[in-house]
Amino acid sequence: MNSSRTKLTWLLIAIVGALTVCPVVMLVLGSFSEGLTAFGHFTVDKYVAAYTDPGFYEVMVNTGIFVLASSLLSTLLAIFLAYLNTRTDIPFKFLFKIISIIPMMIPHLLFAVSWALLLNPSNGLINLGLKEAFGLDSAPLNIYSMWGMILVEGLLDLPIAYLIIAPAMASFDVALEESSRVCGAGTWRTLLRITLPVLRPAILAAFILGVVRSLASFAVPSVIGMPGRVHVLATYLYEMIATGFATDYGKAAAVGMSVLVASVTLIVVYRALTAESEKFVTISSRGFRPSVIELGTARMPLFGLVGLLSLVLIVLPVAVLMYTSLVPYSMVPSAKAFSMMSLKHWSDVLNDPISLLSLKNSLFLAVVGATLGVILSVFVAYVIVKVKTRAAGILESLSYLSFSFPGIVIGVGFMWFFVQTPLYATIWALLLGYIATYLPYGIRPMSSAFIQIHSHLEESSLVCGASPLTTMRRIIVPLLIPGIVSGWILMASMFVRELTLSVVLSRPGTEVLAVQILRFSEDGLWGKLSALGIVMILISTTLVVMATLVGNRFKAVQG
Amino acid sequence: MEIRIRGVSKYYYSEGKTIKALDDVNLTIPSNKIFTLLGPSGSGKTTLLRCIVGLETPDAGEICIGDDVVWSKDKNISVPPEKRGLGMVFQTYAIWPHMNVFDNVAYPLQVRNMPKDEIRQRVAETLRFVQMEGFERRPATKLSGGQQQRVALARALVAEPRVILFDEPLSNLDAKLREETRKELRAFLGKLQITAVYVTHDRVEALALSDSIAVMRAGQIVEIGTPQKIYFDADHRFVADFIGRANLVKATVIAEKGGCTVVDCGLGRIVCQHRDIPVGSEATLCIRPEFIRIVSGAAPAAGNLAACNSVEGRIESLVFVGEVYEVEIGVGDEHLLARIDPDAKLKEGDSVSFTLDPAHCLLVAI
Repeated sequence: MNSSRTKLTWLLIAIVGALTVCPVVMLVLGSFSEGLTAFGHFTVDKYVAAYTDPGFYEVMVNTGIFVLASSLLSTLLAIFLAYLNTRTDIPFKFLFKIISIIPMMIPHLLFAVSWALLLNPSNGLINLGLKEAFGLDSAPLNIYSMWGMILVEGLLDLPIAYLIIAPAMASFDVALEESSRVCGAGTWRTLLRITLPVLRPAILAAFILGVVRSLASFAVPSVIGMPGRVHVLATYLYEMIATGFATDYGKAAAVGMSVLVASVTLIVVYRALTAESEKFVTISSRGFRPSVIELGTARMPLFGLVGLLSLVLIVLPVAVLMYTSLVPYSMVPSAKAFSMMSLKHWSDVLNDPISLLSLKNSLFLAVVGATLGVILSVFVAYVIVKVKTRAAGILESLSYLSFSFPGIVIGVGFMWFFVQTPLYATIWALLLGYIATYLPYGIRPMSSAFIQIHSHLEESSLVCGASPLTTMRRIIVPLLIPGIVSGWILMASMFVRELTLSVVLSRPGTEVLAVQILRFSEDGLWGKLSALGIVMILISTTLVVMATLVGNRFKAVQG
Repeated sequence: MEIRIRGVSKYYYSEGKTIKALDDVNLTIPSNKIFTLLGPSGSGKTTLLRCIVGLETPDAGEICIGDDVVWSKDKNISVPPEKRGLGMVFQTYAIWPHMNVFDNVAYPLQVRNMPKDEIRQRVAETLRFVQMEGFERRPATKLSGGQQQRVALARALVAEPRVILFDEPLSNLDAKLREETRKELRAFLGKLQITAVYVTHDRVEALALSDSIAVMRAGQIVEIGTPQKIYFDADHRFVADFIGRANLVKATVIAEKGGCTVVDCGLGRIVCQHRDIPVGSEATLCIRPEFIRIVSGAAPAAGNLAACNSVEGRIESLVFVGEVYEVEIGVGDEHLLARIDPDAKLKEGDSVSFTLDPAHCLLVAI
């Protein structure tokens, strides 16, 4: 029993290690190589070339501004929303739950595209409307700029920041605030001197996660940054490997190294902070309900603000895409526009062989990838939870490593690897890359499912006279199924919309949905893009709704 | 069904050291009695229980249940837990959360492929026995702690096992419920002709429930006896100290007189219950606090002196704990804890005299 467990542990370490460490090693080796075809001749030329390029510093500055400002925006908004939800009498609190779930439904790429459709300077709907209304000659607003990128990325990272800050705020011990009030400090002073400092670990964690995510973000920089010639590291890398004739994977690897190092470092800091933040929470939570602050006359205006935010985050992107998929060209909604609506873009897309191929590929990757990913996750989670040896600890660290991988950089690493193998330019390359990068999302629901299965549940079945096989069939598997299903759906919905890794690994014949949508965006084919985007949102939403339903049943079982 | 355990040892290896969880345990658990394994945590009592049920594999020895050898190192016999036909109530109850009460209780019968009608009838009977009628359709997650405990008991009993084992089944209940459940459990088991092995670290639970108690320490069985024997008449100092509060005083045996053993100690010359300890050797005198009797007024008649073990002391502290005063009495260098009537008019610093009934002056090995 013990020796088979040890064997299983080491086998999994080998598999997960190959999946997560291999692209990193290949990235390092690649950054010292002369080119994809000349692997093995080592040189530092690529580093010299990459880091002495005069354009590089502008990119670095842009990246810094973009990453810090968008994380700041999402964190501040998250604090504001979390405070309103947990501590005030604002009405319709269910809206906050919706705000925290939607990013799962609307892929980042489409969110960015919908803003471009609204605010681009040539035919953005809001710009067209403003021009008509005020008789302007040129568009007043331009999303293709640094502020546009910051705004959209900030909104995209808002839900994750909210999910970190809101629970910390909800479990905040209100006595800390009350004693400050008794000492003579007002509401504002208490907020600034007591509440926010105590929540500092959670707030910092949310900020750092925002930095990591925006550093890895490719959808916003490519859709909004590139048309405005505002380059950040992700798009800079993308141009190096995907556009023009002189693709340079060596230089891309050299640049990618610094992104990877920054990202891994930040994730280490993040995990330390969340551990500390949980300590804060456990010390202070004593089951008190935080007292509710009455907003008074500010109640309705503040609610209006929250309503506007949820409108902007949820309704607008879908509505804009739907509208654009039906009208022949960009025009302000009017009687004329509605009379010209047709399903032309839809039939174009559904008859476009490449779009259909990408749909087929994405569905294949979602179904097969999620199935394989979940099977691997079941074994990894079993070892992490039930086998408590040092080797199991190594496996846990390995399996969470990919949590910090910026997709496009790790894609470059995989590229270096796959070029050496017959897998290059096949759908299997994408499949392996997806599983490696998104493994933590499969492992997490599985581990919580395993933690739920106390060893006594298994043992009591044996004592009752059931054989190990019957125990497996009647006790263990039924208890695991909710975790397996929700893990599968989570992975599948991520694979359907995967963009950052795919833009590097996808080749003619292995297009996927997100890459195809990006192509449409680069060519300005907004109508087709919107139609295909709605299809993607439909698949994604169906999966997320299923995941929520299964999750609810899971909670019911846990009681 | 009698359980015989012969020379069972179990070792754990951790950080290069060998820990003897069970150290050559020899024990016969009589049939149709409630037998308790009592000991501090880490004494090996749960390990022994898990060896009996088959969830742990011993490193040496032999275990027989009735006439069947279920485990033997030498004969290379190892019957898996599902083939031993036992019932067990786990500390966590291990009620399967994805099943309702009926399925939880029916499970042992279902895995034995019993006809459906018979299963339904026996589950209903068993649930009636544990007073859980009408709960069949209740999901397992909607049960209170006490109800879970009853369902776990029903599940352990439904297949009419030869032996039922309990692993600290009351430790997850709150104090009041624990007391009620303990009484109920005693009543349930009293109605059945079944061998019950019960593991606990709670001495009150052990005393109240058991027909027989085995006290364990460091993987070994120190002493076996009825609750009265263990409480009043323990042979070992560890047992006397563990089973209840005790004043332990170093003593030297000086004589055998009239069916009593006489010792010299810090309290003076004390007449004790008879023990076969050679004159001149060292022993420990053990006196339970409730058997120290304060004598008010005149000293007892001189003729009774030897029988009454009269001692003079001084009250050092006095704590009111509700039903009694807990009093510390200083006698020379010794300090004795006594429990006395709350209406006694005593205060700190008072001189008192008290008597010790020889029947309750217990001599135990050092």
